[in-house]
Amino acid sequence: MIELDRRTFIKGAGAGGASCALATLLPGSLAALEQKPLQGMGKEVASICEMCSTRCPISARVVDGKNVFIQGNSAAKSFGGKVCARGGAGHSLLYDPQRIVKPLRRVGERGEGKWEEISWQEAYKTIAHKLNDIKQQHGPEAVAFSSKSGSLSGHLFHLGKAFGSPNTFTHASTCPGGYVIAAKAMFGTKVKRDLSNSKYIINFGHNLYEGINMSETRGLMKAQMSKGAKLVVFEPRFSIVADKADEWFAIRPGTDVTVALALCHVLIYDNLYDQAFIEHHVEGFDAFAKEVKAYTPEWAEGISDVPAKDIRRIAHEFAAKAPHAVVDFGHRATFTPEEFEMRRALFAANVLIGNIERKGGLYLGKKAKTYNKFAGDKVAPGLGKPGVEGMPKPAAKRIDQVDEQYAMMWSSGGIYQTILDATLKAQPYQLRAWVMSRTNPMQTMTDRALVVETLKKLDFVVSCDVYISETAAYADIILPESTYLERDEEIADKSGKSPAYYVRQRVVETIGDTKPSWQIFKELGHEMGLGQYFPWENMESLQLLQLDRDMARFNEIKQKGYVSYGKPLMLREPAMVAAFVKQYPNAKPTDDDGTYASAMSFKTPSGKIELSSDKVEKMAAGRGVIKYREVKLKQDNELYFIQGKVAVHTNGATHNVPMLANLMSDNGVWIHPVTAGRLGINSGDKIRLTSSVGSEEGTALVTPGIRQDTVFAYMGFGSKNKELARATGKGVHCGNLLPNATAPVCGMNIHTTGITLAKI
Amino acid sequence: MSKRYVMVHDENRCIGCQACSVACRSENGTPEGVTRLQVRVEGPFGDAPHLHFKYNRVSCQQCENAPCVTVCPTGAAYVGEDGLVSIKEDKCVGCMYCVAACPYKVRFINPETKAADKCNFCKDTRLARGEQPACVTVCPTDALTFGDANDPSSEVAKLINTKATYQEKTHLGTKPRVYRIPTKRGGIQS
Repeated sequence: MIELDRRTFIKGAGAGGASCALATLLPGSLAALEQKPLQGMGKEVASICEMCSTRCPISARVVDGKNVFIQGNSAAKSFGGKVCARGGAGHSLLYDPQRIVKPLRRVGERGEGKWEEISWQEAYKTIAHKLNDIKQQHGPEAVAFSSKSGSLSGHLFHLGKAFGSPNTFTHASTCPGGYVIAAKAMFGTKVKRDLSNSKYIINFGHNLYEGINMSETRGLMKAQMSKGAKLVVFEPRFSIVADKADEWFAIRPGTDVTVALALCHVLIYDNLYDQAFIEHHVEGFDAFAKEVKAYTPEWAEGISDVPAKDIRRIAHEFAAKAPHAVVDFGHRATFTPEEFEMRRALFAANVLIGNIERKGGLYLGKKAKTYNKFAGDKVAPGLGKPGVEGMPKPAAKRIDQVDEQYAMMWSSGGIYQTILDATLKAQPYQLRAWVMSRTNPMQTMTDRALVVETLKKLDFVVSCDVYISETAAYADIILPESTYLERDEEIADKSGKSPAYYVRQRVVETIGDTKPSWQIFKELGHEMGLGQYFPWENMESLQLLQLDRDMARFNEIKQKGYVSYGKPLMLREPAMVAAFVKQYPNAKPTDDDGTYASAMSFKTPSGKIELSSDKVEKMAAGRGVIKYREVKLKQDNELYFIQGKVAVHTNGATHNVPMLANLMSDNGVWIHPVTAGRLGINSGDKIRLTSSVGSEEGTALVTPGIRQDTVFAYMGFGSKNKELARATGKGVHCGNLLPNATAPVCGMNIHTTGITLAKI
Repeated sequence: MSKRYVMVHDENRCIGCQACSVACRSENGTPEGVTRLQVRVEGPFGDAPHLHFKYNRVSCQQCENAPCVTVCPTGAAYVGEDGLVSIKEDKCVGCMYCVAACPYKVRFINPETKAADKCNFCKDTRLARGEQPACVTVCPTDALTFGDANDPSSEVAKLINTKATYQEKTHLGTKPRVYRIPTKRGGIQS
C-alpha cells in the first residue's frame, strides 16, 4: 500500500529540488556551509542506530567520502547484521542541507519562522539567564524538561534535577507506556517476548513488519517461516503483519480487551490453564476467574465483531501449544481509554498458560547482577551508573503528581501531556518554561492546537534538535545536536536472556557547529552555575567509570560495538538450565525438576505475578481486578480514526530526511470501498477529515484492507511549519485530529477518535 | 563451469520495508529521482477477509537474453564474462533505446553520469570485494538469496530446486535471472 513507482520518485525529486533552493535561505542550516567530503573515523565502525527509538546495533562504513553504508552489527545475533530503510538512510540525515548546524535565536513571533544564527556561548548565556530568572521568581519546578529517551534524556534530566525541577518527561505516555505500566502492575517490571521460539502467536495489531524492531521482526519471521508457528492477527486494517498472518480478524477499534478477556474465559472455564503454575507463582487468580466468568466469546463477539466460535477455537489452539505460545502484548498505544485493562488482559492470557520463563513465551531480562548470581561467578561485568553526590532534592511535586492512580507512571517517563494543563490552566501549578531535546510533541501528543497554545503561552522555550522540527519551530533558542553518526555515548545495557552491552560511537567527524547532547547540557550546566554537578571531563571518562576503569573490557566493547556474555537462560526451561549448570560449576543448585522455577521472583508486593492487585486497587478504586468497561470512542455518525507506523518513517522524526521523504511523503487515508461509495469518494480524491478538535485535508486511498466504519492514516505526516520543507503540508496531520485525553492508571495519551469524512 | 548469478526473492518473507532500496542507493550512490531497486507493495487482492498483498521486486532481471543488449547501437550495454548484463558508461550515448526496450522498465538515464544505469548485482562494489549485494546484506527478513546457480551446493541452487518459483514475463523469451517464490496467499503452494 506504499505507492512507490518511478513516477512518484521523479515527482518527489522535483519537489525536493525546489525545497533545497528554499532551504539555502535558512540560517544555520547545513546548506549554508561548504560541502566537504565526509571524514570517516575508521574503516568500519560499530555503533547504535538512532533513526527510531529501538536503537539497533549497527556497523557503518564511509563510501567515497560521500555516503555511509550502514548495516546491522553481526555481533548481535538476533539482529542478524540487518538494518531497516530508516537505519540505512542515516547518512541522508547526516548531510541533509536542511539540517541545523548552528545555534539559532528566534527573531520574529513564536512560530513565525524568523531566525538568526548565534554562537554557542550566546545561546548558553541566554538560556542560563532566562532559566535562573524563572527559578528565582517562581521556583525551579516552573521549568519542564523533556527528551527522547537514551543517553540524551539522561543528560538533560540530570541538568533538570541539578536545577531543582522534578518535571522531567519522556515520550512514554504518547507511545509505549501502556504495556510498561501494565507489566509493572503484574510482574513488577518490564517483560520481554521470545517470539522466535514461539509455536503460536496471537497478535493484537503489533505490526512488527512495519514498526520494525529488528530483533523482534526477525524473531517473528523466523517463528513463522522456519518453525511453522501460526500467527493470528486482530487488527482493524489489513496491515503487513495481517497479510503475513495465518488468520486475520478485522476487529472493531478499541475492543481488543473483549477478545483478550474472552480468551482468558475459555482458558479458565474450559480448564485449559496451567493450574500448577498459577498455584505457585500467581496471586489474585480467583478474583480474576470470577470476573471473567461473564466474558464469554459470545459476549466478545457482540462488541468486537470477532466470531465467538473463532475465539473459542483460537483459545484451544493456543493452549495446545502451551507453554511455547504467546499473546503479543503490543507496543505503541493507545487504542482506548481502557488501555491499562487491555494490556493487562493480554498479559493475563500468557500467565494462564504458564509461558513465563519458557521458550516462545515471556521472560524477564537477565542483567549482569541477576545472571552472575545464578552462575555463582562473575560471568559478565557490571555496568556502573556514575552518580553525583549531593544532588538537590526537588521541593515541589511533579505536575503529573495530582492523582495517585498514575503513581506507576511518575517514574516511567511521566504523563507528558500534563505540560499542557500546567501551562494553560496552572494545574496543579503554573509552568513557565520548557526545555526539550529531540522530542516532537506537536506530532506525537494529541490536539496540536493545544500544544501550539501551550508553546505560545510559555515565557521561554528551548529545543535541542537536528532539524527545526514542528515543535522546535516554536522555540526561542534552538541548539543543534550532532546526529548519532557524529556522537559518542555511554555504554548501554542490551541484556536479553543473558547480559549484553553495546555502545554508540562516532562514525564520521562532526559536520558544522554541532555538539553531542552530553556536552551541550554539561556546558549549559556550567553556564547556569551548576558546574559542580558535572564533574566528568568527557564521554570517555564516563564510559571508563561505567566499566570500573577496566581497560580490557572497555577496548573490547569499543572494538566490537556489541558484546554479550554467557549462555541464554530462561529459568523454567529445563534444557537451558541444564546447559547453564553444566557451563558454570558454581551455579545455583536447581529445583528437583531441573529448573530455577522456585528462584523466580517478582518485584510486586506479594513477590508473585499479580493477576489481580491490591496495590492497583488502592491506587485506583475498582481497578484491582481486570474488568471490562464500556467506552465511547466516536459518535454514531462518525468513523473511527486510527493510526499506525510505516516501515520507512519514524513517527515524529524522519519525514524530512531526504531519502525517506523521497520514498514516502504523503499518507493516503485508507477508506473502505463501501464507505467511499456512500460518500462519492474515489482513490486520489481530495478529502476533508473533521474531528471534535480539528480538521485536515488529505488524499483518499480506497481499499478493502480496512473496516467499513474505520479510516486509517500513517502517523507523522502533514507538518505545518515551513522549515521542514520536504514534509510540510503533505498529508494528514494525525495529532491535529485527536482530542487530548488521558487513560486511567497508565496515563496514556489516547490515539483513537471519531471523524467525519467529506469529498472536497 | 562459468558462473550463473541469480537472485531469489521470497515473497513470503518480504515485508516491503524498502531497506533494500535504501541500501542499494547508499552503496551505489544512486542520485535522487531515479532508482535501481524498489519493492512495490501491490494490492490488496482478493475478497476480505481473504486478502493478500503482492511484494513485487522491481529491478534489472539480469536477462540471459537481454533486449537492452540487442538494441544498444554502441555496445555500451553488454554481457560481461561474469554473465551479468552491464553498462560501459563511456560508450553510452544516452539514446534511451535500452530504456524503451526493457520489458521490465528498470533502466534509466543517470542524471549525473548521463549514461544508462540499472542494477548490476553490485558487481563493481560489493561483489568485487567478495560481499553479497547491498540489498541481500541488509534485508531484515532474509527474503533475498544471491549466488551462483551453477554451483549445486549454493543456497540459490537449493532454493530453485526445492521451491516453486516463477519469473516475470518469461513468454518474451528473456530468461530473467530474478526468481520469485510466490506468496502462499497467491494461490501457488511451494
